[in-house]
Amino acid sequence: MTGTMAHTDTIVAIATPAGRGGVGIIRVSGGRAASIARLLVGKLPAPRLATFSNFLDADGSAIDQGIALFFPGPNSFTGEDVLELQGHGGPVVMDMLLNRVVQVGARIAGPGEFSQRAFLNDKIDLSQAEAIADLIDSGSQRAAKSAVNSLQGRFSEKIHELDERIIRLRIHVEAAIDFPEEEVDFLADELIHQALAEIEVAMAQTLAQTEQGAILREGVTLVFAGRPNAGKSSLMNYFSGRETSIVTSVAGTTRDVVKEDIHLDGVPLRLVDTAGLRDSVDLVEKEGIRRARQELGTADIILLLIDYSQHFEDWQAQAEALLAEVGHRDGAIVVLNKVDKRELEFIPTFTVPVFGISVTMLQGLAELKAHIQQAIGFDAQVEGNFIARSRHLDALRRANLAVIAGRQQLQTRQAGELLAEELRIAHEALNEITGEFSSDDLLGQIFSSFCIGK
Amino acid sequence: MDYPNRFDVIVVGGGHAGTEAALAAARMGVKTLLLTQNIETLGQMSCNPAIGGIGKSHLVKEIDALGGAMALAADRAGIHFRTLNARKGPAVRATRAQADRQLYKHAIRGFLENQPNLQLFQQSVDDLMVTGERVTGVVTSTGLRFLADAVVLTVGTFLGGIIHVGMQKQAGGRAGDAPSNRLAERLRELPFSVGRLKTGTPPRIDGKSVNYAGLEIQAGDTPRPVMSYMGSTADHPAQMNCYITHTNAQTHDIIRGGLDRSPLFTGEIDGIGPRYCPSIEDKVVRFADKDTHQIFIEPEGLNTHELYPNGISTSLPFDVQMELVRSIKGFENAHITRPGYAIEYDFFEPRELKSSLETRHLGGLFFAGQINGTTGYEEAAAQGLIAGINAANLSLEQAPYCPARNEAYIGVLIDDLITMGTKEPYRMFTSRAEYRLILRQDNADRRLTATGRALGLVSEPRWQRYLEKVEAIESRKLHLDKHWSHPGDEAMETLLGQALTREYKLSDLVKRPNVQIDGLLEAVGLDWADTEINDQIEIDLKYAGYIDRQQEEINRVLTQHSVSIPERFSYEGISGLSNEVRQKLEQVRPATIGQATRIAGVTPAAISLLLVFLKKARHSLDDQKSA
Ligand SMILES: Cc1cc2nc3c(=O)[nH]c(=O)nc-3n(C[C@H](O)[C@H](O)[C@H](O)COP(=O)(O)OP(=O)(O)OC[C@H]3O[C@@H](n4cnc5c(N)ncnc54)[C@H](O)[C@@H]3O)c2cc1C
Ligand SMILES: Nc1nc2c(ncn2[C@@H]2O[C@H](COP(=O)(O)OP(=O)(O)OP(=O)(O)O)[C@@H](O)[C@H]2O)c(=O)[nH]1
Ligand SMILES: [Mg+2]
Repeated sequence: MTGTMAHTDTIVAIATPAGRGGVGIIRVSGGRAASIARLLVGKLPAPRLATFSNFLDADGSAIDQGIALFFPGPNSFTGEDVLELQGHGGPVVMDMLLNRVVQVGARIAGPGEFSQRAFLNDKIDLSQAEAIADLIDSGSQRAAKSAVNSLQGRFSEKIHELDERIIRLRIHVEAAIDFPEEEVDFLADELIHQALAEIEVAMAQTLAQTEQGAILREGVTLVFAGRPNAGKSSLMNYFSGRETSIVTSVAGTTRDVVKEDIHLDGVPLRLVDTAGLRDSVDLVEKEGIRRARQELGTADIILLLIDYSQHFEDWQAQAEALLAEVGHRDGAIVVLNKVDKRELEFIPTFTVPVFGISVTMLQGLAELKAHIQQAIGFDAQVEGNFIARSRHLDALRRANLAVIAGRQQLQTRQAGELLAEELRIAHEALNEITGEFSSDDLLGQIFSSFCIGK
Repeated sequence: MDYPNRFDVIVVGGGHAGTEAALAAARMGVKTLLLTQNIETLGQMSCNPAIGGIGKSHLVKEIDALGGAMALAADRAGIHFRTLNARKGPAVRATRAQADRQLYKHAIRGFLENQPNLQLFQQSVDDLMVTGERVTGVVTSTGLRFLADAVVLTVGTFLGGIIHVGMQKQAGGRAGDAPSNRLAERLRELPFSVGRLKTGTPPRIDGKSVNYAGLEIQAGDTPRPVMSYMGSTADHPAQMNCYITHTNAQTHDIIRGGLDRSPLFTGEIDGIGPRYCPSIEDKVVRFADKDTHQIFIEPEGLNTHELYPNGISTSLPFDVQMELVRSIKGFENAHITRPGYAIEYDFFEPRELKSSLETRHLGGLFFAGQINGTTGYEEAAAQGLIAGINAANLSLEQAPYCPARNEAYIGVLIDDLITMGTKEPYRMFTSRAEYRLILRQDNADRRLTATGRALGLVSEPRWQRYLEKVEAIESRKLHLDKHWSHPGDEAMETLLGQALTREYKLSDLVKRPNVQIDGLLEAVGLDWADTEINDQIEIDLKYAGYIDRQQEEINRVLTQHSVSIPERFSYEGISGLSNEVRQKLEQVRPATIGQATRIAGVTPAAISLLLVFLKKARHSLDDQKSA
């Protein structure tokens, strides 16, 4: 290995996400690839030879089994040491594997970063510069979208709350260091210990909840939408295999958002049933419709249900209207339901995929399911959401470790500067989620919080 | 008339930036001229008579490690020394010295007069000589023309300087000195972006009229710290005390009553002042709930009664100044010797500078000090040193030098300025340094002196002293690594407060939080003199984990961050780069990828794109060359 390579950091990515029963590949590149191999495979696989092995977790248990391949640099795809782990375990297991690799010293690759390294190490022709640039560009747009998806709701709230607390603490600690002649010595203050302990608890809680997937969105969200009585709840119940949502012949049965998390052959899927979209004067129903619209905003896939038995002549106009209502989103699928009551005629090509089904008679459902699996199983979206989640978890873990270390430093050594250093690291880790915060921003907060200076 | 001799380097301005610049260039062996308005004001402290402080003494010690003058002068002039943050850890520990104004000036002037290759000349510079995109010399107010390879401009607060006391304003470079208006006008014709900043100073007080009874005394520290690595307490003159008093509710009422005649609040002043160094009227308005503010009463020197009341910088009208001063405990009958004032002046957008402090618009022209948007003697001196070094480097046709952010606060200062620019007068704080644990004031020599030696800045005696120190640190560390303490070692067990369960290396015992190296040395009967060296060993050992981690952080990005970006690199052709990012890159024109990453709003993806296109550009350049 060349000397400079030891100084590049090591990156990891899911090269191909596993679909149902397929093979998923995790790729690692950089100076630590060999040591990561030793930790996960138990030994360094012979160069370029497929080695069948367990992939080990921290406690020595197997996360998955599969083939490990090691390509020493410079004769590898990126020009650096490369480790490839090919597993069978489906996205959830792939995700665990990815997290394990991150834990032992890699960071999740940026968009197009493998190709970029290959390019910088003369493994890809110079004429490909624009192509690599496109890869980076489109990749980073997708990553940004996934990050937004991952950062929704309670998780985002919690992270911002933690960020606020860390900033407040850093203001005190840094002010105590840079302005010791001011009248209050914040470091000597009992409140600092208390604030630190509180942050530690709050962080550990958020971390635990996130790891259990309780507040962070996982995988893909599938929303059922359409006019009242189209059969949305019926289809949702079919997918979940349970009577989650109430089904009646009354139009306007579903009035609130109903959610159910399922796995579709290893792919985590969140099902969301919504109130039928229509102009209503009923206050409860109106609120339900508002919530339905909100869900549509975050959906990865939207099934637009239409009662074909009612609309066999104008289903296209109906579909157009619904599409317009959801803002012509990617991932929309038109589902013509109740074909048991009215036989399906020839379907001309439409702007989005169209399926004819009957929930009650179980017609056309296999095709619909297969299509959905295909749309998400190998779709970058799942990977994107997974990666974004892993990134966030990794950042949160690092922040948590730093806060714990900081409190210990303060307790055992009364070392203000080491507490400050740990808080800086914790803050920088959180900033990977929440966005840039410079030392100048910090000083600005200090000056607006305290009357400082002579 | 043309001055008959040609110089290699001309430095304009004899403040803190100018004097370090001139000394550095001359030390590097090039023929240097220091041109200043008035030889009597060489090394003058315009404001507070103090050197050092948090973040600032870090700069002073780095300047010292590179052979500069500031720390040596502070040791000769310091009349009150303190160690700040003594208990918060070595990285944020700092040294501050009250200086006798006259002694300080005297010391600086002595260094200048005795420096080989350096000549002084008293005259105001009115114009720059420019040929194409290069500076070739300067023209003084009497029309004298001086030619040189490089010109370093360090004219402080003098460009278009306007002094405010209440609603009265007058042109001035600082109290008692004329502004540099011709030069300011001329510079505004050149392609530099100019802005206005503001700073202020408190009224000075006659110590004979102060009632010290009941004021809190603040003595210097024992043991007394020293500023220079070459210094010792034997260099220090007699020591004096400072005192502490406070403003009160009445003071604040008086100030509020005068706000209608405050140039700050009536909109007279549009230059932006420093937030960390607010005027007393600012403090009273912005923090209305505080009913008292601390004032440090600092002596101006051994042979004067004048006092500097640190904490009541103001530009209120003189009658209000008198009234507010006299409302303060101890100042009931105080006589003001000089009114406080605010000053507004021109500064130049520092993002138009290279890290060598050469301007991007005019080759051979260097800017240093207050004119780059900073404030403070130490910040000025640090830039002066680097500009002086690089002016000499240019003349010697050598590569420019600027320490990196992980090597010195000087590097942090310059990188911040040229990358982020500044909206207010920029002052150093330790929180600006992400590698704070490595950049300590105790190890500046170990970080920089070898480089300084290679540049020709470090004298033989300094070099020898440095080598001895490093040798002693290494051999003593080795000793501690090779010697063990065993169960039953009584002195050691007493020190630890517990029995040893197995044998330990001495170096491992030093790492324990509750062990101090002095105690350990005593316990094992080692009589090692020189606490400076023992302290270094203790810090190295105790902080090894943190230092290694920061070093790892640095190494991790080193290869990528040191990729250089050609000066005229075109950002136009990079597909995928947003307009906003492109504009930022074009404004700052970062010299390396590392610098580019620090521009606010430049994303990791943008950096990836940059790397790809840089490589492409480099290759097409190679192709052109070989074709
Ligand atoms: C009123 C006031 C208040 C201040 N308050 C503070 C404070 O609270 N805290 C703080 O840290 N700093 C303060 N400072 C700033 C501190 O004084 C400066 O940061 C520092 O002196 C800047 O150093 P310099 O070398 O850039 O410029 P200066 O020290 O200003 O030196 C400029 C030199 O250039 C010379 N010169 C000017 N024009 C010409 C010309 N055309 N030709 C030849 N020579 C010329 C001058 O004579 C002078 O020698 C204050 C300054 C002033 C004036
Ligand atoms: N014949 C037939 N009836 C169906 C089919 N799917 C659903 N239905 C019936 O249509 C009615 C409405 O079904 P739901 O699933 O409640 O419809 P919805 O879209 O959720 O309705 P709202 O919640 O009121 O908006 C029920 O009586 C279902 O039994 C189908 O495929 N064929
Ligand atoms: Mg329903």
